[in-house]
Formats: sequence, structure tokens, C-alpha cells
Amino acid sequence: MSGGSVLSCSGRGEAASRRRRRARWLAVLASIAGLVGGGTLLTGTTTSCASPPDSQRYTEIIMPDFPTYRDHVDAYLQRRCGTLDCHGQPGRAYRIYGFTGFRLYNVDAGLVSGQQPTIPEEVLANYQAAVALEPEEMSRLMATQGAEPNKLLLLRKALRIERHKGGPAMAEDDPGYRCVVAWLRIRVVRPAPDGEWEIIPQEDREKLPISAQQDCERAKSFP
Amino acid sequence: MQLDANRTAEPTSRWPTRLLGGAVVLAIASVGSSCNLDPVHNSAVNSLGPEDPEFYPPESEYHRPGEPCALCHSKKGPAKSKFVLAGTIFWGPDDYNARVDNAYVRILDANKTKKCFVTNCNGNFFVREEDFSTLTFPLLVSVERTVEPGKNEETLVIRRMASHIGREASCAICHIQGLRDFASPGQIRLFDSDQEFRDRNIPLVDCPPPEDFVQVTQCPEDRF
Repeated sequence: MSGGSVLSCSGRGEAASRRRRRARWLAVLASIAGLVGGGTLLTGTTTSCASPPDSQRYTEIIMPDFPTYRDHVDAYLQRRCGTLDCHGQPGRAYRIYGFTGFRLYNVDAGLVSGQQPTIPEEVLANYQAAVALEPEEMSRLMATQGAEPNKLLLLRKALRIERHKGGPAMAEDDPGYRCVVAWLRIRVVRPAPDGEWEIIPQEDREKLPISAQQDCERAKSFP
Repeated sequence: MQLDANRTAEPTSRWPTRLLGGAVVLAIASVGSSCNLDPVHNSAVNSLGPEDPEFYPPESEYHRPGEPCALCHSKKGPAKSKFVLAGTIFWGPDDYNARVDNAYVRILDANKTKKCFVTNCNGNFFVREEDFSTLTFPLLVSVERTVEPGKNEETLVIRRMASHIGREASCAICHIQGLRDFASPGQIRLFDSDQEFRDRNIPLVDCPPPEDFVQVTQCPEDRF
């Protein structure tokens, strides 16, 4: 009797462990199925709900004043940063064109380094390069009327707040830096009557202060 | 007791392994310091091609005029001497064989330190690290050639760089020999046309120079 009870006990135990194993397998299979199903569902929903590419959609950038850049700032940045061994190179994110450095490639114009004067297209390309370096940060800066100009990579690198391969290119007390900052502080947005913000038309914009113009003039001759 | 025995036995048994490890590390360090493992640098050096003994004595101060000197003469090697600035001066914009001997290359660095160096018979000049250890970029550079260097120091021609040098030690990186385009002003020249140079009947010097050639070693301001 005792032997039979032992046998029946062990038989019951085996059956129980088999059930447990089956249950464990079922749980594993169910979780795999759940993961696969969930992944498929997620992929399906995200791809089907993604909007199609819209060629008309763009992020509006608040740009600093171009005429001031063209007339006062570009000559300094060209001279200070645009040599052929620095930012006058095709491989640079902040690429500068100009008379003594890198020229805008144009088969018709045939611009050669050190020969023809800087052309307006080159100045525009330099302006775009300065803005496109950090467009969102530039927008924020313009929206706050250049309150914290050193947040811009353009100045962080030059002041060597951030690593700059070419070393320090500006100091906060030099006329070149003051010239650039004065340009960035020209107000380009104002509150609109509807409570929103609007871009100030070119003719209503303030001019670069005389002291800043003098700084820009002095900075042009600085190597 | 057994534990103590193990403790004393362990270090002695590891000595050969540690020695071997140290030797391997030393070997790797010495190989690393003697040859450059930078593929970009190695590729740039290899792209210069072999020396041309027909035109200059190889691996001499006269070699490879118009090529980027500080590519090899840098910390990355393979040349032993290190240059902080070096280049070649030509008479005209296109003629590779008309190079300026005894030209005075004047450098003004960011600390307002002025130094002057003289080109050799092949137009090469070089500033070794020890010659100008405080050199700080950006630099302003001018080149002057006098009527008869060492004898008549009246200016024959003088040129100043329109821009400064930002950080490049090899003139030829920007002043690419035989190329004047949107990315290079061409070789460093004293005249804007080769004809202008020829019209002046300026004699060219063989290199290595003949015995009667006077190699000036100092600029006038350093001599007097």
C-alpha cells in the first residue's frame, strides 16, 4: 500500500510539473505573439498616420538685418575668418567667400582668389552661412533682440567658449566682436496689432549706431 | 599556512607574465611613436610622390620646391625637423623654374613679434620650431627681393600678402603650384606676369648653387 501510494504521489507530481512546464511555454509563446503583434500594429499605425512630404512646409527663421551685415559686418568676418586655411574652404559648415579667400564657383564669372573684388552673391552667401549655422538659435536671438549673443555658435567658437580649431578669433573687448553684436541687436520683430509678432519692414528698422559703425570700420583692418 | 604560502608564491609566478606584458606595451608604444598611424596624413604624404633628383638633391634644403613643406616637417612626420612655417617664392605666376633666391620673408605674428628669413637658391624658406618657438597665428607676411642681396639692399620688388595666415604652416596648401582658381591664388610670386620678370633680365641661379653664389643668411635688419 505504502509502495502504491508513493507511486501515485510521484505520478501526480510528474503530471503537475508537466502542466507547469506547458503553462510556462504557453506564457512564453503568448508574450512573443504579443510583442510581434504589438510591433506590427505600432509600425502599421505610425507609417499609415505619417503625413506625406509637404514641399510647401518650412520653418520660418527670423533673420538678422541683411543690409547692415552687407554694409558693415561682412568685410570684418571675411577678413578675420575667411582665409583659405580657415573658413575659406569648401569643407566648412560656416563657409566664407571673398576677394582674398575662397570664391563662389561660377563658370561665367570665373572668380579667382585674390583677383576680382567680392561680388554681392558672395556677401549674400556669407550672410546665409552665418544664419544657417544655427537657424533656430538665431531665431531665438532675434526674437529677444540679441539679448544673449554668446549663445550663438558663431560667437561661442570665436570666443573659444566652445572648442575652436583656429583658436580664439575674437575677444569681448575687441571692435570686431562689438560690431557683430551690434548687428545682432538690431530689432527685426515687433508686436503686431493682433497680439502676434511681425517682421519689421526694412524701411522702419533702426540703423547701426555710429559707435558700432566705427567699431566695424576699425575691425575691417584688423588681421 | 597554506594561504600564506600561496600569497608568497603568486607574485613570483606572475613576474614573467608581467615582464612580457610590459615589453609588449613598450614595443607598441615605440612603434606608435616612430611611425604615424593617421591614414589621412599618410595618404597626403604619399600623394606627394617620390623625390626628383634631376631637379634638386633629394632630402636636402633645396628639395620639393612649391610643395607643402610642413606636411612632412611636422609632429606627424616623417621628416625629423619640424617647421612652423615654410614655402617657396617664385618670380612669376606660372613659371615653376623661376624661383627667387635670397628673398627676405618677413613675418609679423599675433604677439607683434617680427622675424625675417631668407630663401635659398631654390626659392625655399623654412622656419624651424626652434627658430621661432613663440610664433602665434595669425601671421602677416611680406616678401622682398633687393637688387643684389648682401651688397645692394635697395628694394627691387616687394609683395605683401593681401590676407593673413590663419593657421596653416605650409604656404603651398593654399598657394597651389600651377593652379589659380576659385580656391587658390596660385604660387607665391613677386611679379604678376612672367613677362614682367623676364623683361628685367634677372639672372636665375642653379641649385645647388655654384661656388661664387652668395647665400645671404640674415635679412638686412638683422645684420646691421
